[in-house]
Amino acid sequence: MADVQAYKKKNRLGRKKTGFILLFLAPTMIAFCIFYLYPIITVFATSFCKWDYTNMLNPEFFGFDKLWENYKYIFCKYPYFWEALRNSIIWAALGVVIQMPISLLIALAFSRKVKGVKIIRNIYMIPCMISSAAIAMIFLQLYNPSYGIINPIIRLFNPEFSDNILLLKGPAFIALTCEYIFITGTTTLMILGNIMVIPEEVREAAMLDGASGLKQDWYIILPMIKEILRTVSILAATSGFLIYNEVYFLTKGAAGTYSISYIIRELAITSPRTQFGRANAVATIQILMGMVIILVINILYSISLKKKIYTGKDGNVQ
Amino acid sequence: MSVTKRKQQSKGANNLSGATRVVTYICLAWALIVALFPITWLILSSLKENPMARPGFQLPEAIYLEGYISTFLDLHVMRYFGNSLLIAGISVIISVVTISMSAYVVARMEFKGKKLVSILLYSTMFIPATALTYPVYNLINRLHLYNTRGALILIYSCSGIAVSFFVIKNYYSNIPKDLEEAARVDGCGYVQTFIKVIFPIARPGIATAAVLAFFSNWNEYYWASLVLIDRKKMTVPALLSTFTTAFATNYNGLFSAMVIIILPPIILYCCFSKFFIEALSGGAVKG
Repeated sequence: MADVQAYKKKNRLGRKKTGFILLFLAPTMIAFCIFYLYPIITVFATSFCKWDYTNMLNPEFFGFDKLWENYKYIFCKYPYFWEALRNSIIWAALGVVIQMPISLLIALAFSRKVKGVKIIRNIYMIPCMISSAAIAMIFLQLYNPSYGIINPIIRLFNPEFSDNILLLKGPAFIALTCEYIFITGTTTLMILGNIMVIPEEVREAAMLDGASGLKQDWYIILPMIKEILRTVSILAATSGFLIYNEVYFLTKGAAGTYSISYIIRELAITSPRTQFGRANAVATIQILMGMVIILVINILYSISLKKKIYTGKDGNVQ
Repeated sequence: MSVTKRKQQSKGANNLSGATRVVTYICLAWALIVALFPITWLILSSLKENPMARPGFQLPEAIYLEGYISTFLDLHVMRYFGNSLLIAGISVIISVVTISMSAYVVARMEFKGKKLVSILLYSTMFIPATALTYPVYNLINRLHLYNTRGALILIYSCSGIAVSFFVIKNYYSNIPKDLEEAARVDGCGYVQTFIKVIFPIARPGIATAAVLAFFSNWNEYYWASLVLIDRKKMTVPALLSTFTTAFATNYNGLFSAMVIIILPPIILYCCFSKFFIEALSGGAVKG
């Protein structure tokens, strides 16, 4: 950026200003380069290299004729890739389909003046303050077949049941999902903040038109907070797509619960035959898929935004 | 979004219709259950001498605190809290100071490439840390920081740029421009203006970003479990993964240790809940 701005300095004051801008921008940009730019370039470049435990120190470029070697391995030979990708995409979708609506419903409930709502709101935030690793540990105990609490509940319906649900294909996936998906404190508050800035007059006008309660929420409030709903959807989808702790603590990938993040770590670090090149190929796919998810959500929302403008009632706020 | 203050909520519940009322109460009840169910179970179990014998929500026969005592005596939890506090604290200071500087420049000055800087920093929100696993791990090794607290401090200082950046930048844009101009007229240079005028005014916004960053660093597990192997240096979340083996069949000990681990953030939250709720809702909700 230095040379881009160089010509801008015409006088001494300008030079001083440029110096100030550079000085103040530099630390963050350095942090960005160390932690994001350099790793992303490495990930991308080495995803086309032979690089594993046999040549730890010097990755070897495959050459253009065998450019896709790592990707071929990941797609065709690595046994868990497709399972992991499918799971991660499902978790991303559940973020939009389940997590976002829950956040919204609870935010709407919090926005009403009911007795005790403040206390409940504060309590609802507690799980967000605890490390997701700790939450996963707690649920690992809850799901334990001998002393947990889930098995006795299942036994009410099926007295024979004595398996560990984390080892059953299907239930394990559901159990893992239930562990994190209902913890929506942060996003609920973000939505609530946006509901609260809607001017009282808007509600009053809606009231005069006969729209109150749920009807008002649906026709008046919802279109006004679309922007934050989009942000929350993106947050929920990307965090669902990136799940790692939950998999690590609850199942370690057993019973069909691998996630993309989990296989990256397994390939790159944990397995005895570390395969950096291949791990980075998966990482490249992860970054690209993340972008695709964000793009898809943005497109979905802009389509629905256009529709709302057609019906009117939109765009009064923000 | 503007931080207007208004007396809303004054009406509302009194004229809620039946259906709305029912839906609201169901949502509130659900919120309570989700938040309290796991923690209540954990605390109850930690007070039972043998959680296996009285599983579920049965009350303990007698309150049994042996697990707590032994956790403090044998597990040296205070050491891990110390580690976490040190690592999270230092990295928050580094990142918040640097980001509050850069955010000021981006919020207040015109220069070429400003948009690019914003986009780059914003994009970090959507770059998965896990995808960067190996390059960062490798970098740490090459800097000879593997298995040191410095590694985590470096990682935490550099990660999570986006959230702090936007929280702080938003706060700056609410500060009237006249203040800087007045300072400039009084003969303050750019750096002086920032240190003497802007920084003190923006303190609440910067503090918000700091608290959010502190919590996320305190709770971070992925990197902590990756770069630290020495038990003595571990942070609290990294310690968790050693629990299942450490407490093979001593469930009372396991539950007590877990309660002790989750308690400090909860207590901290209870003290600062007002602050938190305002921060996360963009100042629109009063705690």
